[in-house]
Parts: sequence; structure tokens; C-alpha cells
Amino acid sequence: MSRITRRDFLKFTGGAGAASTLGMLGISSTAHAAKHGNMGAHVVVVGGGFGGATCAKYLKRAGINVTLIEPSTKFVTCPFSNYVLGGTHKIENITHSYDALRNSGVKVVRDTVTDIDAAGKSVKLKGGKTLKYDRLVVSPGIDFKWDAIKGYSEQASQKMPHAWKAGPQTLLLRKQLENMKDGGTFILVAPPNPFRCPPGPYERASMVAYYLKNHKPKSKVLILDPKDAFSKQGLFQDGWKKLYGNMIEWVPGKAGGKVSAVDTKTMTVTGELDKFKGAVVNVIPAQTAGSIALKAGLANESGFCPVDPKTFESKIHKGIHVIGDSSIAGALPKSGFAANSEAKMCASAIAAMIKGEPIADVSFVNTCYSLIAPNYGISVAGVYRVTEKGIADVPGAGGVSPKEATDTFREEEAKYALGWYASITADTWG
Amino acid sequence: MQTVKSVITWIVLGGSAATLAACTTTKPPAEKPAAAPAAPITAAAAANMGSNCFTCHGPEGRSPGSIPSLHGKTAESLVKTLQDFKSGARPSTVMARHAKGYSDAEIAAIAKYISSFK
Ligand SMILES: Cc1cc2nc3c(=O)[nH]c(=O)nc-3n(C[C@H](O)[C@H](O)[C@H](O)COP(=O)(O)OP(=O)(O)OC[C@H]3O[C@@H](n4cnc5c(N)ncnc54)[C@H](O)[C@@H]3O)c2cc1C
Ligand code: HEC
Repeated sequence: MSRITRRDFLKFTGGAGAASTLGMLGISSTAHAAKHGNMGAHVVVVGGGFGGATCAKYLKRAGINVTLIEPSTKFVTCPFSNYVLGGTHKIENITHSYDALRNSGVKVVRDTVTDIDAAGKSVKLKGGKTLKYDRLVVSPGIDFKWDAIKGYSEQASQKMPHAWKAGPQTLLLRKQLENMKDGGTFILVAPPNPFRCPPGPYERASMVAYYLKNHKPKSKVLILDPKDAFSKQGLFQDGWKKLYGNMIEWVPGKAGGKVSAVDTKTMTVTGELDKFKGAVVNVIPAQTAGSIALKAGLANESGFCPVDPKTFESKIHKGIHVIGDSSIAGALPKSGFAANSEAKMCASAIAAMIKGEPIADVSFVNTCYSLIAPNYGISVAGVYRVTEKGIADVPGAGGVSPKEATDTFREEEAKYALGWYASITADTWG
Repeated sequence: MQTVKSVITWIVLGGSAATLAACTTTKPPAEKPAAAPAAPITAAAAANMGSNCFTCHGPEGRSPGSIPSLHGKTAESLVKTLQDFKSGARPSTVMARHAKGYSDAEIAAIAKYISSFK
């Protein structure tokens, strides 16, 4: 980590104009900047989701000049979008504005990054502008491998929604559920590893069953899965049995659950052994890092981005940090919680680099709450550190909710899931 | 994990922060495995650990929802509660699973950081 010299600092800010530039950036003391490193340095953050918004906020708190690029005016969270499907939440309850970030001094630009020039340290925006950066943070979430299932495509997702990015897709799937006749089958095509939110498909099946049980009790939920195991499996299956009897059926890979083709005209899904007809079909495709990360050459052959486990700086392009779902983060899952934690550690490292201070030891946390019903919550937790093997679980910590627990315990966890959502969204966009 | 235990024992047995600092300042920080923090916990490392609590307990420990706020609690009371979660003396849904992720020295450092918000 090199300390940024006074000369570099002047070069960046344009020599004689340094003081006034700093003034424009809202930095009060040039003497402070010269003494403590390049406080005029500019960090650009790509993506205003869980990773990007948190990183921008914590960089700003550390006194860094930061611009956040995000195409949407408001962010609809994937977390809790399953409850919109279940009918307990409205889309407005999971929609967040960028006003608070703006008010805290983050420059929020409504645009899409179309190109990243790692050598020239600049990004190109769809709107035509080019922005220079000293460090870049890339948190674009995921994109889909549209060609992994025959017959599925972006266009097909208008008939068989993925709803794995929240917003119009969530509302479309909810509408299809509302229009579904009692006695129909809701088919959920689960994705192969790695994918965002490991318990997400199974929470979705739960919340769909919750809605169907109360409104269309003769219906079924069929999960077709290429995998033979999933997150919190025992807890989910116990809960399903207890709350929904035989309504939810899970077909693992070894029983022919891998789907090779879909047909939107006949609403059929082709598994390895059978064809299935769905009243509503929810296809969650295989995933890669966000397309801008792929385009910038930040990903390896896995489709995700290798990073330094402490700073999240790309192992491919120096000066660029990749966080959130797009990154390869060792034992950390692809979750909003993990993205938030990675963002804080990344902001702390970037601030130290800019200020010429040592990079502090990092620690990561994750907890994924899932609701099997509005009053029945389960969770999986972990605390993580950097070891020689990368980001690893702290042994003895974390784990899943107890298998045997009272109704009150499950109810408490459901209550805390709501508390978690209120807190993380305040921590990220508040 | 042998090293972790011996370091903790050493700290508990009275190795002062100053001695620790003197012994370790020559080592570059990047070379130490973070799972076995042999150096004293810096304020920045404590902030890194503590900021992860805010994801559930709200910004600066001010919770907007059903999880209790941490804001306004003293370092002593935070240490006591976290130790009780860790030992199981105080039952919890999730806190034991988190508290077990931190050494005694780390709990003290986190408590100090969280109680610093006025
Ligand atoms: C149904 C479902 C339920 C979930 N539930 C939970 C949960 O309960 N708990 C949990 O922790 N996680 C949950 N997750 C996972 C969570 O949503 C993701 O892990 C999290 O959003 C990852 O954050 P991110 O910053 O990587 O990406 P995102 O939050 O997706 O943010 C990416 C942002 O980047 C923007 N972007 C993309 N490309 C560009 C570009 N070229 N230029 C500018 N901006 C760009 C996008 O518009 C988007 O706003 C769930 C996911 C799903 C699908
Ligand atoms: C996954 C969310 C989550 C995380 C992360 C988390 N907590 Fe908690 N915390 C809770 C919940 C929920 C409770 C209520 C007890 C329980 O059921 O676990 C709680 C209770 C507490 C209490 C008792 C408060 C009171 O007034 O009763 C303290 C103190 C506390 N946590 C400190 C921390 C600290 C410090 C951290 C970070 C190291 C932390 N928590 C991380 C969810 C969390």
C-alpha cells in the first residue's frame, strides 16, 4: 500500500486549483489532506444496492469524496420480496429512495456504467459522460445465464417470471398467483450453485404455500431442483410438513429435478424423468456476476470475480474493488447481509489506503432469516475472518436455528426478521 | 486454534496492551491471520467488527425495529451481556451464535466502540 504523495495529490487536483477544488468537494482543510494523504481522492461506486449503497455511505462517513452511479431512482429489495408474493407486504414497504444518501453528501448519479477503463481509471456512462476515479467499487449484483435452460430467455421471463431481481418481476409473479385457479400447480425451478440468497427459493416456496393455503388450498407447490441439498433444509422441511402438510413437494437432482427445457406456450417444464405442467411457473436461472463486471474483465472462468479477501480489491484489475454478489468471497454467502458487511470492510480499507493509514483487520457477519410463515422464522448465522484459506467461518460460532424449538422461539425469530430488515435498510439507505 | 487460545490466556493473565503493542509494531499487519489476532485490537479493527452489529441493531446501535437498541449502553453492560450470551447464561435466539465469534478481548473492544456513540 503506497502512501499518496503531495505531488500526486497536486497532480490529481490540478496543481494551483487544489484548494478551490477541495472547496468544491466540500473538504474544509487542505492542510489536513496534505498531512493525512490524498483526501481529494475520488471514489466511484457502481450500483446502489446492498453492497454499493452501504459502501458509499461508509466511505462518506470516513470523509471520502464519493459518487454513486445507479440507474434506478428507487431501489426495491429482493429481501422481503417473497413476502410481497405471500401477500403480507406491499412493494412500497420494500422500496427505498436515495435521498438520505444524497443528503449525507454522497453524489448520486442516475445513470448506467457502460464501460470501465481500468488502465485509464475512468468509467463511461450511458448518458455520455466519462468519470475519473482514484478507486472504483463495483457492486452490480447478478445477471442470468439466459441460455442455461432451453426455451428460457429474457422475453420468456414475461410469461415465466424469475422474480430474482425485485420490482416489476415480483409484481408480475404476484399477479399470476392471484389469477391462478384453485387446484393448480405452482412450479419453482431452482437454480444451480452458486446463486444469490441460498435459502431464497425455499423461502419463496414457503410464502407461496402460505398464500395458497389461505386462498387456494387445493393447489400444490412443486420445486424442481438440480441440487441434492439446500440451505436450512431440515428446518424448512420440518416447517413445511408442520404448516402445509403435503402441499410443497421438492424434487432433488438425483430424483430428476434438473430442468433442461421450458415451453412458455404450453406452460410445461421438462425434467430428466418427467414433463410437468404448471399453472404458474417461476424459473430462477443460473447466475453470473453483474454483466458490467464481466464486460470489464473482472470475472474468472467461474463467472464471478476473484478478490483480495481483506480489501476486496480485484485480483485482476488493481484499483477496482468488487463486492456483493459479484465477488468470490470464500465462505460468505451471496446475501444482502454479506454484501453490507463486505461493503463496510471495503470502505474501511479504501479510506485507509487514501489516508495513508494501515489497513485494519476485518471481520464479516452474515445472518439469513427466512419466514416459513409470517409467525414462523428460522435463521442461519456466521461470523467470518480472513485466514490463509481466504474468508472462513469462525469455528464454534454461527449455525442454524435449533431443530427442536417452541412455537414461541419461531415466532421470536419471525419478529426479529422484521427488525433485521428495518435495521439493514436504515444502515444501507438511511 | 492453539495460538488463539494461548494469546487469549496471555492477555487474560495480565499481558498489558502496552506490552502487546511493543512486541508487535515491527510486524506488518497484513501477514497475521486475522482469526488469531496476536496484536492489540486497533480502534479501526474494533470499528470494523462493531459496525457489523449495526446491520441488526441499526445505525450506531439505534434500532428502528424490533431488535433492541444498543445505543446509550455502557461498555461494561455490553461486555456483561455479550459474555452471558456467549456462555448461555442468558438465553437468546441468535446472539449466542454471534457472541461465540469473538474473543474476550474482541468483545471488550467492540463494547468500547459501540458505547462511543453519543
Ligand atoms: C427473493 C430473494 C430474497 C432474498 N432475501 C434475502 C434476505 O432475506 N437476506 C439477505 O441478506 N439477502 C437476501 N437476498 C439476497 C440479496 O438480494 C443480494 O445478495 C444483494 O442484493 C446483493 O447486493 P449487491 O450489492 O451485490 O447487488 P444488488 O443489491 O442487486 O445491487 C446491484 C445494483 O447495481 C445496479 N447496477 C447493475 N449494473 C449496473 C451498471 N452497469 N451501472 C450502474 N448500476 C448498475 C443495479 O441497478 C442494482 O441496483 C435475497 C435475494 C432474493 C432474490
Ligand atoms: C442477526 C442479527 C444480530 C446481529 C448481527 C447482532 N445482534 Fe445483538 N441481538 C439480536 C437479537 C435478535 C437480540 C435479542 C436476543 C436474541 O434473541 O438473540 C440481540 C440482543 C443483543 C443485546 C442485548 C440487548 C438488550 O437490551 O437486551 C446486546 C447487548 C447485543 N445484542 C449486542 C450485539 C453486538 C455487540 C453485536 C455485534 C457483535 C450484535 N449484537 C450483533 C440480533 C443481532
